[in-house]
Amino acid sequence: MRYSWLGCLLMGSLLMAGTQDSDLNVNKRYTVDTVIVSGKGWKTNVSDQNDRISAGLRRDLAALVGQKLNPGILDGLALRLKKEYSAREVSHHILRGDVPDHVLVEFDVKPSRGNIDATLTKFVYDSKQGWSGAGALGFTVQQNTFLFGVASDGDTLNERFAGVSARYENKHLGSDRVNLRFQFESYHEQWNQNTLNALATHPNETSDAYRTRQNFQPTATIALAKPLTLEFGVGFERLQNQYPAAHIETANAVITTLRYHRRFESDVQQDLDAGYTLRAATKLLGTDFVYNSHTLGLHYRIAKGKHQLLESAEAGAIGGKAPLADRFVAGNSSYLRGWNKYDIDPIGGNRLLHNSVEYRYGPLQAFYDAGAVWDNGQPAIARHSVGVGFKESIFSLAVAFPVKAGHVEPIFMMGMIY
Amino acid sequence: MDVPARELKISRRSWLLAGLVTPLLRAWGADPLKVQYDGDNLHIAAPTLHFLNGKPLERLKDGDVVAYVAQVELWDDARSAVLKQQRGRFVVSYALWEEKFSVTQLGSSPRTVEGLSATGAEIWCLNQMAIPTLNLEPERFYWLRFNLRTGNPRDFAAEDQVGISIHRLIEILSRKNAPEIHWGPFEARVRLTDLPRMVGRGSRNG
Repeated sequence: MRYSWLGCLLMGSLLMAGTQDSDLNVNKRYTVDTVIVSGKGWKTNVSDQNDRISAGLRRDLAALVGQKLNPGILDGLALRLKKEYSAREVSHHILRGDVPDHVLVEFDVKPSRGNIDATLTKFVYDSKQGWSGAGALGFTVQQNTFLFGVASDGDTLNERFAGVSARYENKHLGSDRVNLRFQFESYHEQWNQNTLNALATHPNETSDAYRTRQNFQPTATIALAKPLTLEFGVGFERLQNQYPAAHIETANAVITTLRYHRRFESDVQQDLDAGYTLRAATKLLGTDFVYNSHTLGLHYRIAKGKHQLLESAEAGAIGGKAPLADRFVAGNSSYLRGWNKYDIDPIGGNRLLHNSVEYRYGPLQAFYDAGAVWDNGQPAIARHSVGVGFKESIFSLAVAFPVKAGHVEPIFMMGMIY
Repeated sequence: MDVPARELKISRRSWLLAGLVTPLLRAWGADPLKVQYDGDNLHIAAPTLHFLNGKPLERLKDGDVVAYVAQVELWDDARSAVLKQQRGRFVVSYALWEEKFSVTQLGSSPRTVEGLSATGAEIWCLNQMAIPTLNLEPERFYWLRFNLRTGNPRDFAAEDQVGISIHRLIEILSRKNAPEIHWGPFEARVRLTDLPRMVGRGSRNG
């Protein structure tokens, strides 16, 4: 493991050094007079105003014009285009311009083929909760994506759920601005004894410990304006209880999410991501659980060179009686890292307040989490935790300590966090 | 008894076999490696070997750079031991307006030449691969082996070149769409006394 991280550090340092100019390419003597990005059936000159490329990336591409060719920058820009278009490949070519000693830079975006992709969507080890993993097999044909996944997750919720999921997504429903998605999940549940004991002592707080959980969720996402998207849909959740006799309960809800994402780029890169989600389960949908859940999230990231500062705040409130899977949980790999979720609240809460500050220098990270999960009418107990670790891309290795009096037992976390 | 010529029948199968084997034999005999001796060094030439073509040339004409690693080894006649070897690392680029090649030889003191034709660039690279003949016996046979391939990141990772951005080169070589291409190995059995002397060069060894 030590060598893996050393390898990550070495690779990271190489990548960071990768944007230097090349002394080896004779073409660096020429001046760039045009930058073109082309894809299947389209072509755009980045100097023209259009919304095919995000503003920040278009500005960086346009900044090449009038400058001496710097081949080192082109690879980075091609990578950003690849990410923005979810392309199979983005290659760049340098061609003669219209004027002697001037060149044209052309980026060629190759769309992803209708091929099968296997992805690991979650892979986490927590010294208290054990392993959690999820993976998916995806098949894309033009703008249609089919995903089939399996999961065994003991991290996210108070239950360990294991099962399968299937998803169909159309990323271009008549327009680039509309995305349609159908998702189906079917899980079997395992319960921690602390949760079962807490349910016995608080019988009307939430649902019973169900044996299986199925969810069907059609949603549509509309890009209202460039940084603002609205997602709306319906979730049909079926919970199969075993006691006192086998029966089905439903939690059908209207789901609405408003999301704002903005990136500001200069010497200092800043990302702002804000979202509000409403989940309203109403009798109109024939639900057994009537509740409404509000979640507000604000994430901000500022980066300069190897330094990064991340601030993440979440607040949530549930009115009514929500099933266990929809209640707020802290003490996992996202909230109050270092705490054991079964020590905090083994059946979750209907109120959440959480804030996390993280500083990263290259792959090194240090974080401070503070928050509380409680039930309305009960006192909110603020908890804190600190941790240090390594994070390179999606790979993460951290040790987190709950801040409390008496015996402190750190939690070790490792895996791929997306 | 002599068989009259008109009775000597060659089957169609034999003609077919001969037709297949003859070009193979020609190709077998056409080893591109030519060796010359200037009295101090062995110089290699490969007039029929062109490595600035195909995919590498496409990349060069797209304004990219292509790295090559060349290796010349001198083996004893039994081919049991390498007596001498020379390794060269070259980075080639192509000036789009002048339509000429530029080559940089990496090493402790990198050297760059510009304004070369494709053949000129190939010859220049091979000229840098001379092997000194000090301590070699003129009457003994040796085997000279020449290998050439496009470079990979490992070839340059340990380099600490003065004035050259090796990180950028490693990044270029790491691209998925730039697979390694090999030429050779090409071999020639040589004896110093048999080798043609290069014109205008004298020996410092006598």
